[in-house]
Formats: sequence, C-alpha cells, structure tokens
Amino acid sequence: MRETPAPNRSDRPRLARRTFVTGVTAGALALAGCTGDGDGDGDGDESPADDESDDDSLDEDTLEDIEVGPEFLEVEDPPDAVYLPTHREAMRMLDPIETGDYALAPMLSYPHPFWIVAGGAGEEDVSREDPDDGRGVHMMFTLWDPETGVVLPVDDGAELRVYRDGEQVGSPRSPWTMISQEMGFHFGDNVPLPEDGRYTVEVDLPPLSTRTTGDLEGRFGERTTARFEFVYDDAFRHEVGGGVDYLDEAEWGARDALEPMDHGGHGDGEHDDHGDDGHGEHDDHDGDHDSAEHSDGHGQDHDYVPYSALPTIDDYPGTLLVAPDADTPETETHEDLPRSGDAAVLATVFEPGHRLADGDERYFLVSPRTPYNRVPLPDASLSITIERDDDSDPEHFDLEQTIDGAFDHHYGTSVPETAIQPGDVVTVTFDRPPQIARHQGYETAFLEMPPIELELPVDDSEDE
Amino acid sequence: MTLPDRSALSRRDYVRTLVAVGGASALAACLETVRNDEERTVPSGTDDPESLPERQHAWNSVLSTDEDGNVTPPQHHVLVALSLVDGVDPAAEESRAAVEEALRTLERAYEWSNEGLLFTLGYTPAYFARFDEPLPSSVDLPDPEPLIRGGDPEFDEYDAVLHLASDAPDAVLEAEQALFGDRERSNGIDLEADLTDVFESLADRRRTGFVGDGLPAEHADVPGVPDSIPEEAPFFMGFRSGFRRSQATEDRVTIGTGPFAGGTTQQISSMELQLEVWFEQDNHFQRVSKMFSREHAEDELVGDYGEALADSSGLTDERIAATEADAREHGVVGHAQKTARARDDGEPPLLRRDFNTVDGDRPGLHFLSLQHEIGDFVRVREAMNGEDLDVPRANNGILHYVFVDRRGNYLLPPRSLRALPSPTPDGEDERG
Repeated sequence: MRETPAPNRSDRPRLARRTFVTGVTAGALALAGCTGDGDGDGDGDESPADDESDDDSLDEDTLEDIEVGPEFLEVEDPPDAVYLPTHREAMRMLDPIETGDYALAPMLSYPHPFWIVAGGAGEEDVSREDPDDGRGVHMMFTLWDPETGVVLPVDDGAELRVYRDGEQVGSPRSPWTMISQEMGFHFGDNVPLPEDGRYTVEVDLPPLSTRTTGDLEGRFGERTTARFEFVYDDAFRHEVGGGVDYLDEAEWGARDALEPMDHGGHGDGEHDDHGDDGHGEHDDHDGDHDSAEHSDGHGQDHDYVPYSALPTIDDYPGTLLVAPDADTPETETHEDLPRSGDAAVLATVFEPGHRLADGDERYFLVSPRTPYNRVPLPDASLSITIERDDDSDPEHFDLEQTIDGAFDHHYGTSVPETAIQPGDVVTVTFDRPPQIARHQGYETAFLEMPPIELELPVDDSEDE
Repeated sequence: MTLPDRSALSRRDYVRTLVAVGGASALAACLETVRNDEERTVPSGTDDPESLPERQHAWNSVLSTDEDGNVTPPQHHVLVALSLVDGVDPAAEESRAAVEEALRTLERAYEWSNEGLLFTLGYTPAYFARFDEPLPSSVDLPDPEPLIRGGDPEFDEYDAVLHLASDAPDAVLEAEQALFGDRERSNGIDLEADLTDVFESLADRRRTGFVGDGLPAEHADVPGVPDSIPEEAPFFMGFRSGFRRSQATEDRVTIGTGPFAGGTTQQISSMELQLEVWFEQDNHFQRVSKMFSREHAEDELVGDYGEALADSSGLTDERIAATEADAREHGVVGHAQKTARARDDGEPPLLRRDFNTVDGDRPGLHFLSLQHEIGDFVRVREAMNGEDLDVPRANNGILHYVFVDRRGNYLLPPRSLRALPSPTPDGEDERG
C-alpha cells in the first residue's frame, strides 16, 4: 500500500478544518451530506469540489490534509443511548442498480470509524474499527426490493470484490450490516485502495435465507451479482471530505438523532436544506416508505433510494401493547413507545386469522426500531412470555426475524388465540441485542436491552 | 511469474517465494540458496518399494510431534494439477508403468519423511468418468458441489493432483522439476522416467503454500496480510490448529473394504482470507469467540495464538451442545464449536492437512482434508455453514472472513493402485 503521511490527529486544530470546509467547499455544505453524482463517474455537474480541486487558492498543505478524509472528532462520554454525533457525513451516491430481485444503491464516503458487535453487554463485545491512514473509501450500499420499496436489512452473506484494470484489489470482503442516523440500515466497510484510479466493484448477493412474507415471500431465491464503477481521485476526496458538516459542539452527544438523508430523487439538483439543527420532527421526512409508497413502488423514478424507516404505529393492524403503568392507554406517537436500550419497541397482536398467523391463530409482532428515525434493529433475538392473572403457567414463545412486504422488518410468531387475552402481561425479552455495526451516535445504544413488560389493553377498541 | 528479489527478503521468505513461483529457474535459485549456504543434504530414499507404506497418506508416523503430541506438518507444499495428455489411454499398461516408474524414482531420490519428500497422487471423479465402469460402492467420490448457499466456486475438473510436501523447499521444487522439467538428476539420483508422456502439468492451476510457527507473520509484505498477525501464529487466522484430539486418525479416514482398501478420499477447498478485517476490526475476544466459542473467550482458554490449548481445541460435549443456545443468547458461535457438531460419536471425521498460501499475491488457505468418504466432509461443511443457527453471518464462526474459490474431490488409491487406477481394479491382473 502506498504510504500516506500520517496526520497527527490530536494536534490538528479543529478550527482550521472548519475554516477549510467553510471557505473552500461552501457549496458542498448546502448539499449537506448528499452530494449527488448521478452518472457516478466523478464528473457530476453538481459537485462543487470538482471545480474547487483546481483552485489555485488551495495550497499543497490543505490538499494534503484531505488526502484520506477529514479527521474524526470524538464525543466525550456519550450517553448509553442514541445521541447526536459531531457531524453530518458527505458521500457520493452512484446510480442505483437493479439485479435479480434486488435493487442496490452504492454510496461512497471517506474511511471513518465504526463499531462492530458480537454479543452486546460485555466490554469486549463491541470493537471499534479505526481505518488506516492509507487511502480508501467507506463503501456502502442500500439493498431493497424495488417492488415494495422495503429495505432488506439482514446479514445473509453478501460479498464484495474490488477490481482495477481487471485485477482484483485486495481480498474479498463481507460487508458489515450497519446502521447510521443519516443512512439508516445499509451494508458497508472501510475499503483501502492502493492509488487513485477507476475501480469496479462486484457485489455478490446469495439467496436470502431470512423468512420473508407477504409480497416478499418466495422471492430473492437466486444468487445475483451487482456491478458498479467509481473513480477515486482528488475530486472525490474533496467532495466527500470537504462536504462534511460539523454540528455545533454544544449539540454533540445530545439525546437526539440526525435526520435521515434525503435519498429520493437525487441527481435532480434539488436537495433539502439539512442545515437545520437536527432537532426537527423526523416522522415525516421524505425517506419514509409508508404503506402508500408500498402500493405504488413501480412509479418511483429510477434514482429513488429508500431510507430504511419502518412503518409508523398507525400502519400496523391489531392491538398495540402498552406499558402497564402508562398514564394513557393510547400510545399516540412514536416517541411514546416503550424503550429498551433506547430502542423504541412496538409490539402488537393481530386479530385471529391474519395472513401472517397459522390458521386462526393471532400473530404477535415486535418491531424494535431506533427512537427517532424508525430504523430497524435486525439480527437480535427476541422472545415473549405471556402471563395471566390466574394460576395458569406463563407461556413462552421465541420470535422469528421476518421481513414482510407491508410490515417490513420485525420479529414475530403465531400464538393460539387462547394464549393471549386482554389484561395479559407480556414480557418482551431481548435474548441478545441487534448484532449490527454502528456509525457514530448509535454505538452506545441497543446493547444492554432489559426486558420490557407490556399489557394487552382491556379496552380493546376497533383498530383495523 | 518472475523470481523474487533476494536482497529484499529474509532467507526463509525468499525460498518460500521460490516455491510459490516454481519452475527450473526458481529451483536453481533455491538450490543455490539452501545448498550452498550450509552443509546440508536432503536424505535420499529407498530402492525397496515394499518398505514404504501401502497407504499413500501414511505420513504421521514419519512426521515429528510437538510437546503436546500434535503432528507437525511439513512446511512447504505444492499441489500440481494434472491432466492426461491427449490420446493417452489410462488403461494402457505402458502408461501405468510410466507413472509408477516416475513415482518410484522420486521415492529413490527422497526419504519418505518431512526432511525428504512426502507425496500423494489423487484422482478426480472426472478421471474415473473416462471409464465405462463406475467406482465401487466402497468409494464415496461424488462430483464437487458448492456447499454454500448461493456459492459459486470453480471445481477441479482435471484428472489428478499431486501433493508434494517437505520441510525442504528445494525438495518440493526439485521433485516437481524431476517429473515435469528437463532435469536429469534429482537429489543425486539419475532420473529414468518422468510424467510428461502421460500427464500435463497445468501451470495456471498450480497451488502452493506453507505451514509453520511464524511463517504467516513473515508475509506481512503481501497485500492483505496485516502486520498485526501474532508473530508465533502457525496459520494466517492467528491460531494453532490441527490439534491431535481434533484430528481424525489415519486409520479412521482409510477405506477399509473393496478394491481401494488402504486408500482414502481427499478434498481440497481453496479460499481467500480477509485478514485485514479479522485482525484490525475484530478484537481478540471476538476472534476467539468466532474461531472457538464464546466460552473460550470468556474463560481465556486460548491464549494469544492457541498456545494455551495443548492437544485439543478445548471443546467439551457441553460446549458443542451449547452452539444453538450460544447463537441465540450471545449472537456469536465459534467455528470449531459448530463444526464439531459433525463429529461421529465424539470422533473428528477429518484429517486436516491444510496449509496457507499467498498464491495470487493474496492471503489464502488451501484446505486439504482426508476423510473416509467425501460425505464426511460435506457433513462438516454443512455444520460449519450453520444455516440452522439463529446467528447473523458476521458472527457465524469465520464465514464472514473466508471466500471459497475452488473445490475438488479426489480418491487417493493405495500405493499399489496409484498409477492410473481403473475404477474396477479387482477385475484386472495384478500389476507391479
């Protein structure tokens, strides 16, 4: 690998960085982390960095500064919860690809830290990846079903290989499944690159083994390969490095989340103004794929990239379970949902005979999600215990991870109608937390996840 | 491939690289390096074929063992892929005689040991398909299959593979040249026959590798091999393996009945390894959890590179039985733990003779195993796949880090049938 001068990160003044960002690539700031590049060849006409890279006002030292990427700033003593990171990332979005039953949207940023998880509560269970100072990218892709718009958020063995001039670069990789506040669920990894140039990436997608239901049932059964190209050069580094948008330091670590990035319709020159403070109501962001979008997925323009937001409370039929001591029996808003490890936990039991249940049983669905952006929390293990206020023994059910065409990612099981009745207390247990990698702002949440006690309300109103 | 720069490499790395390059000039450079440097000779072999074991795979008795009784494999390996020369009739007596004579020449030239040369010659299902008769039911040798959901490896569809192994790098190179090059003498023995009339050596299918304490760490100059590999580790993944109690015995993997009694089956899976992620993203606790088990990590049973495991991978029946529960509760299962579920009454079914490689200038593993039948390997691989386990791929043992490119299945006939065997040797005259 080519040697790159190792910047002394601790000594690098933050002020200088901000001056650089503001002074040189102010245009990228307005894009706020979504520097669209519709043709994916590095000549995007809306990338201000392209023009700036030839700017004589950039001295060599400044260029050197972002040879790899901007420095990664730390939040001191973050809460054990979702928190605001230090910055919004910038990335280059490449054209979405359809292959087999899948759609895939590649995105590239600069290498940056993330956290991988094996286990959850233990000190050693989370490992922080710090990229080398060498060159490379943080390579990401969102994978979804183009028919329903449902993002497929499970680790089922995708592999990627990078080529240059027909020769494989480095070893193959299994991209991590990851969540980030701006990107939602995606696959990604830091990928070192030996030098500037044009690279081709092949993503192999094996048949999906996770349970799929509804419009997704019986699909994704064939292996398929997606291919895309990108150019790694100064223009790219300026674009993604210079486009970083730092929040006010006072906000760092606050219990909130960055709003989802606006992926939809990128390349049309319109970008939402993300320059607000990140405290807005997120439930109505553009990245929603609510039930209305599910029905007209065919009408999406080809640049559409869904954000992995789960449906809202009202989109689920059945009876929502509530905390036994809830002041009001109704849970109105997403942020009212009970939390475990800062995950908002939506639990509902469908009426008998629902398509997801066996025969005339009921379907018990639990959908843990991030508290602000409704991002799914996959690859956890959940079980429920149902207790009745009589002498009967509690009933225990393991839930199965499932992706449904309408209700999206969840954990569910069929339960006999007699097994659950109004007034029953249901304990939702996280046998293990979600085994997904996290970007900054999510790495301290969803790890220690205590059981949640819920109640099937007695006042069972019509809810369909 | 060009010869490596002597001045840029340690002596050990240099000769290892020469083995990987192969050919006459690599041999010449290797001989110059190892034989002129010191008063060293490679021990010569025997004129008496009867003194050699009937099992081609009878290696353990001539290999040394470590303090824990684990067999120490030879350091240098070459897998020579062979295709029958066009027009050669494998049933023709002259062809068989030529192959046998060439192999006996090797046995005269080199002692049957890790200091001399160990080798096996194995045949693929594609070879046996040249004959009208099928293999007997006592031999389980199906065509290779992907054995991975959605996997798409290539298959070894040529005729045979010659596995050369030695601690002496010049021995494996010289033996290969003796059979396919233009050498006239090999380790002081006049060469009377080679294989070129019968077999063509497929250069682009040639595979090489190495095993040994510290050898992986010496390859940190290869792209994709991080500096953080433990210096003592004998394998790229950073841990010892091939523990005595985790290995099948040679007896166990030997075919006991039928015309190929005394033979065995061999499978070779070649894979790339993602070591940068393994060593630089996962931490040691996670690596131990994924390679052995969560309990190995919590109880610190492994040490830095497996040195705390004496002669077994430390898998109790309880730890093996806990695989499903570990998946659900901890979200991670160990490679050793879950594959041990394929044990037969507690007995490991595979005799591993795998070795690491930097073929293609990337880190990899040639996973070579011997087993009574290929079905044993399939069972182990399915246990390794762990499709039944409630665990994400990233934490499902080491699946996240290994990428199988090729698979091949072989029959290693007994020594007396190693030269172009017919699938029905019973029906033929005994041959010498």
